[in-house]
Amino acid sequence: MGILSDSDAAEVTKIFGALVRDVHVKVYTQKLECPTCTDTETILRELDGLSERLKVSFLNPQTDSEDARKDGVERVPAIIVSDGTHCRVKFYGTPSGYEFSSLLTTIIDTGGSEEPLTEGTIQFLKDLDTDLEMQVFVTPTCPHCPAAAVLASRMARYSSRVRSEVIEANEFPELSRKFKVQGVPRTIVNGVFYAEGSLSETMMTDALKKGLADDPSIETNLLDYLRHN
Amino acid sequence: MDLKTGLVGSGSSVSRELDLVIAGGGPAALAAALYAARYDIDHIVLESYQPGGQAALTAVIENYPGIKSITGGDIVAAMKEQAESWGAVFEMASVLSAEPLKDMIQIKADSSTYMTRNLIIATGAAPAKLGVPGEDKYYGRGVSYCATCDAPFFRNARVLVVGGGDSAVKEALHLSEFVSELVLIHRRDKFRAEPYLAKKLLSCGNCTVLWNTTLKEIKGDESVESAVLNTPEGEKEMKFDGVFMYVGRKPATEPFANLVELNDNGTVRTHNIVHTSRENVFAAGDVTDNDLRQIVTAVSDGARAASAVFDKLQ
Repeated sequence: MGILSDSDAAEVTKIFGALVRDVHVKVYTQKLECPTCTDTETILRELDGLSERLKVSFLNPQTDSEDARKDGVERVPAIIVSDGTHCRVKFYGTPSGYEFSSLLTTIIDTGGSEEPLTEGTIQFLKDLDTDLEMQVFVTPTCPHCPAAAVLASRMARYSSRVRSEVIEANEFPELSRKFKVQGVPRTIVNGVFYAEGSLSETMMTDALKKGLADDPSIETNLLDYLRHN
Repeated sequence: MDLKTGLVGSGSSVSRELDLVIAGGGPAALAAALYAARYDIDHIVLESYQPGGQAALTAVIENYPGIKSITGGDIVAAMKEQAESWGAVFEMASVLSAEPLKDMIQIKADSSTYMTRNLIIATGAAPAKLGVPGEDKYYGRGVSYCATCDAPFFRNARVLVVGGGDSAVKEALHLSEFVSELVLIHRRDKFRAEPYLAKKLLSCGNCTVLWNTTLKEIKGDESVESAVLNTPEGEKEMKFDGVFMYVGRKPATEPFANLVELNDNGTVRTHNIVHTSRENVFAAGDVTDNDLRQIVTAVSDGARAASAVFDKLQ
């Protein structure tokens, strides 16, 4: 039985009409020890049929271990969205609820005709002289999460200096515990900076500029850099 | 499986001149956008980074006429989709300031500037903070203002809910489906919430209500561990894994402080429902001083404000 309703499929087909370039989506799932892999695979198989621009491939981290290693896949289900040249934009967990919206937006950002980032953010990314690892913890019921998830994905899509991982917090409780996630969205950058809630592009880039210059050794709230100035 | 198909918007670096800017992304702004689009007004909606406003955070809405029961996220998504289908234009941007400039208004957002002949302020309100020790420290570490977002982190946990209005009771009921034990404290001896909601909470099996009780402090180590309460019997420390705060709302009017008259509580001073102290600025929804703050009144304000702009432009 399918997961996308007829109206969902019609809406997504309409949205995919904005694709002007191919979008490559790699889906890593496995049968064992992954209760949410089947749903994830089903959703992506259904999406696959809705646009010729969407090129979805299905892999198993066990049997396709070399691909998984190259793509830096550490857990399943994993979804990588790109133009086929990189593996910087990852989603871990089932793309349900509001995470479906984040995935759709990232697909359109990748294959659409418009650059979604503002000039200020693009300049920030061009000036970056260090790598950024962004992890955004989300839940499917959180309406404020897609803005945070999509910002990280957009930055990683644009710059080879940035990698983003959007993580469904409920599906990876150990990771959530490790990063002390008890509220979403929670963005963690380079394991040291964090932000609760969804920040605007300007806030995120302004805070990161100051934070990277500060180079703290302890976990630091990105908003502190905006409050102090 | 519930799949949300609404796309996340993007910002803009292009500055421009318009007949109308609608600031906000909740029901008031979405209704104004629908009406503005249908009136064919040259407009833009500056949607914040928290699209849907507070309505989107509401687990269940059962008092919007014509719809028996719907989630807050779904009702605002439907409103946005309807507005877009009529040509409403959205950009993701936070308004930083709004100043009068001759007969126009200059609006500075994160990455662009807009000159507009008319403005509808529909920026809503954010959850108010109580200001008790531990509240900021443990935000995201057990302190939350959004049960819809964060309830799954408190499965089989013991949580405290602070407040006695509709939001507190509604979200407590949502949380009670996840937690093992829920304690709600209210500073008065009866709820302000709708009687229907109040009755439902009072009959909830894993919920306890403590009347005439206030929160003094939130304590913990890495995350929330306990709360100190002022009860009629004296100060009491109780163990909790999470604290959800619903103690009122703070109107998001800071960027407009130099533009229109505000009340002491920060709301926009209005007359004739949506008119403000400035002829070409209107206000709609929770940002105003109108007495009832519901989705049904917010959409009504939004429609009235867009209609007033249309009349002005004729």
